[in-house]
Amino acid sequence: MASERESMSPTKVGFGVLWPACWTGLPIKLVFALLAFAMGMMHFEGRLGIAFLMLLASPVTVLAMPIIVMGLGSHFGEGLGLPLLFLLSIPIDIWALDVVGRTFLLERFRKEPPGGLGFTLWWKSALAGAFFLPIMWFLVSVVTETAVSTSHSLAQAEALRGLFGTGLPISERIGLEVTLWGTIASMVLIVLLTIGVSTVGRIVRDIAAVAPPAPGDYQAVITRWDLMRVPGDQGLFLTGVTGTGVLMCLLFWAVLPVTTPHPHECCTKPEVKVQAPFKPFKPIEALTRNEQQIGELAAQVEALEQQKAGAQGEKEKGKGKADGGTTANAPAEMKL
Amino acid sequence: MKQPSISSAPSTAIEKIVAFIDTRVGLKEIQAKMLNEPVPGGSRWAYVFGSILLFIFAMQALTGALLMFYYVPTTDHAYASTQYIIHEVDYGWFLLGYHFWGSSAMVVCVIAHMSQVFLWGAYKPPRELLWLVGLALFGIVIGFGFTGYLLPWDQRAYWATTVGVEMVDKVPLLGDFLARFLKGGPTPGQMTLSRFFVIHVMILPAALMALAGLHLFLFRVAAPAGPFTGTPEEIKAKTDYFFPRQIWKDIVGMAAVFATICSLAFWEPVVLLEEATPDPGEYHPEPEWYFLFYFQLLRLKIFAGEFGQFLGAVALPVLFMILLIALPFFDKDPERNIFKRPIALISWIVLMAVMVVFTVSAVINREFLD
Amino acid sequence: MQQPKLKSKVRCTDRDIGEVTKVVLDPLSHEISHIVVSMNGSGERQVAMGHVLAVLDDLVELRAPSSDIAALPPFKRDDYVTTHEVEISHLEDNLHVMPGEVLVPFPALEKDVKRRTFFMNFTHVIGFLIGLPMAYPILRFLMKPMYMPFDNDWFKVGNVSKIKQDDIGVQFQYKKTVKEVYMPESEVEKSVWILKASPEVLDKVYQGKDQEFRDASGRVIWTNKKDFPYIAFSGKCPHLGCAFKWRQHKTLGQVFLCPCHLSIYDAAGKVLDGPAPRALDALPIRISANGEVEIVDMEFKAGVKNQIRII
Repeated sequence: MASERESMSPTKVGFGVLWPACWTGLPIKLVFALLAFAMGMMHFEGRLGIAFLMLLASPVTVLAMPIIVMGLGSHFGEGLGLPLLFLLSIPIDIWALDVVGRTFLLERFRKEPPGGLGFTLWWKSALAGAFFLPIMWFLVSVVTETAVSTSHSLAQAEALRGLFGTGLPISERIGLEVTLWGTIASMVLIVLLTIGVSTVGRIVRDIAAVAPPAPGDYQAVITRWDLMRVPGDQGLFLTGVTGTGVLMCLLFWAVLPVTTPHPHECCTKPEVKVQAPFKPFKPIEALTRNEQQIGELAAQVEALEQQKAGAQGEKEKGKGKADGGTTANAPAEMKL
Repeated sequence: MKQPSISSAPSTAIEKIVAFIDTRVGLKEIQAKMLNEPVPGGSRWAYVFGSILLFIFAMQALTGALLMFYYVPTTDHAYASTQYIIHEVDYGWFLLGYHFWGSSAMVVCVIAHMSQVFLWGAYKPPRELLWLVGLALFGIVIGFGFTGYLLPWDQRAYWATTVGVEMVDKVPLLGDFLARFLKGGPTPGQMTLSRFFVIHVMILPAALMALAGLHLFLFRVAAPAGPFTGTPEEIKAKTDYFFPRQIWKDIVGMAAVFATICSLAFWEPVVLLEEATPDPGEYHPEPEWYFLFYFQLLRLKIFAGEFGQFLGAVALPVLFMILLIALPFFDKDPERNIFKRPIALISWIVLMAVMVVFTVSAVINREFLD
Repeated sequence: MQQPKLKSKVRCTDRDIGEVTKVVLDPLSHEISHIVVSMNGSGERQVAMGHVLAVLDDLVELRAPSSDIAALPPFKRDDYVTTHEVEISHLEDNLHVMPGEVLVPFPALEKDVKRRTFFMNFTHVIGFLIGLPMAYPILRFLMKPMYMPFDNDWFKVGNVSKIKQDDIGVQFQYKKTVKEVYMPESEVEKSVWILKASPEVLDKVYQGKDQEFRDASGRVIWTNKKDFPYIAFSGKCPHLGCAFKWRQHKTLGQVFLCPCHLSIYDAAGKVLDGPAPRALDALPIRISANGEVEIVDMEFKAGVKNQIRII
């Protein structure tokens, strides 16, 4: 095992530290991310996957991200949420790197971890990332773009036209293209990632080289890092976690939208209908009014009859009066 | 934290209740046998996917039951009741979103779990039965996804199901019978919806619970396989019990998955297309995202024509399933270190790469469909 | 007496005859019934515990001489099964016959009790925090349809000309259009009792005060005036919601009678007999110019003394 210790490649070391550290921090970051979503502070477009991966790997990306956003013009989405999350990730990552780093140093290097290991690892890898990642981003983007256009033209090449008559069918063509540029881009990405991981590995190895050896046999070392995960004051820790969790839960309930934040056109609420004004039925008044109406109508009928009698009389008296007698009565208005 | 009392007489009320139950039921012994299972090489994050799957199933059952308070499985009300849940019921959109993304999470975790078992060689003897029951569970999970997708009865649901059931029709001899059985008739309609509903809500959950129980039993009987590297001294030094360390890792994994599903429900809430009609109109049918790679594969010209369709829709998946079923019976080499099993490693990488390439191709192909 | 241990020597009154090779348990009492003695290779014998005089740590003393023991029939192993081949609950709870113990090493990492309790408690905390965010949304989700706003629409129930006499209950049946959530509109049939009240009955109903009806926020939406002669009673009996009738009672005259539990109300709706906790519920009523009777279809909680509106 001693030989394994000495001969561990920096890539293996780097991966052995970065992989657990990223996943250690993730659950805590996820809780804050969820709150940010609930509060509407984060809106991703298509770049969710990449943003997520960068958050995951945030020990190295936290300084690189602003550089990439500004310098290379990559847009991850809107809202304060993502920058805030990266800020919050700093203490989370320092803690995660501390736990993982100490474990790794104890078990794999059998060395006594120095104080402030988490912070040291964090700023060194963040610095390394700040240089390395924008370069990697740029390189991978360029390679991918070139590979995409090359494979596109390749797939439409005349040679294939000869083989298939009208050229490769569409699905085959897409499959071929994706395989071609996918392979090239993946290869470049993997190579660059390996270089990056091994850089972090070198950082860890350098720290281990100057650290004093850890006492005890294998079992002692294992037990030591295992018990490192048990807090000194359990009651305080658990109460703190529960309390914080409950508070975040209450906040979540307060901000959770009651109806969908993405309503679709199908289901708009109907307009509130205004009721027609109502006229009440008052029996006494109605009776008197009716009597009045009957009286008026009777008077009108009488008047009409008189008119008719008069008109007939006039007609008999003298026909051919051009004006045609009395004008018709204006009908009495019927008030209801 | 107080140290537990070592005196034999129970003093507090809880201790008395526990002692009461223990003399009658053997509680302490059952607890010890269930929880104190030593995990060789120690508890590991890589082992959490099985428990996570159980958690996701429990959450799907819970959210599914809640959705059933308002969902009506008839062709005239399925769409309207689903829209009611999304737009009217308090937090209905959130619970439906959880159920929807939970199903995707289940497929992802099933692939992760199967991959972990495969890469760790934990299907090899004496774990053959465990692997086979696991494959059956995989089939059930796919069945859940397929049947549940139809229930909202919008264009996406209707057409994805129509295409899927047509694939079943290509099975030789039994195909027409099976397709009509699933559709409940010659064409999809109310009978299809009723059948898919009862399969999704009663038959598959019962089957899953029964098989999951069997899977757990077989796992305990076969014992955890443990890591594939490490000397016996290293493995023994790190060994701890299932409870509490592995259970703790399991629950942190569950919490992470829970937070992820909730986040997805916010990022992409469920939005229905128009109500299902026999005329697809402008809509291009597509299955769920985890079937897209296969959907794209079937577009290749080698799978055109009657024989080609049979090859692609029936022969290929059946052969693949037979390969998986036979795996523990022809790969008996006790070597479990994945880096010393090049065929296994390369096959797995190729399979994952094919799935990724064809999924990406399916997405790109959308632009060329007009 | 101690339990005899396996591999202990067995001594008769005269000499040692062998060792305890097996122990037989009684399946009912769970006590040791017999020991099986090796007889130094000349055929095992089954010896009842009654023969045992004393048990020491590695010695079992018998009361009888070796000849008596040798005279016992030989032990038939086929008549017995081991405790692993049969399920008898609690059989081995009080059994301590093994000399020594069978052990496995306790993992070093599990030795720390504080570690164990920490992870157990932390698991509970995380489990609680996973369940908690769902609790409130689920509760609200399930409660959505439970509290509906009051329906204050007016419905036409018929024409007032149907009422020919004073103080006689007349049942008006009307159709109400109902739209429940995503269901299409449907019609339900409801009924209401309308009464043209004489001044005495009117006084009994209103007791000098106009009757106000309020909406959920407490605002008055309608007032039934105390001199308006028409009264509408909700068709549901305030006892438990059954539909009641207008009947001739043998001693009480013409009354509202509920067939379910025989509550009886007079023309003014006051309880004459039966389990009803309050008088009949009056509804807002208005009559339009052409005699169309309109009511607001309210419903009230059944079985309570106070009138509590539910819809």
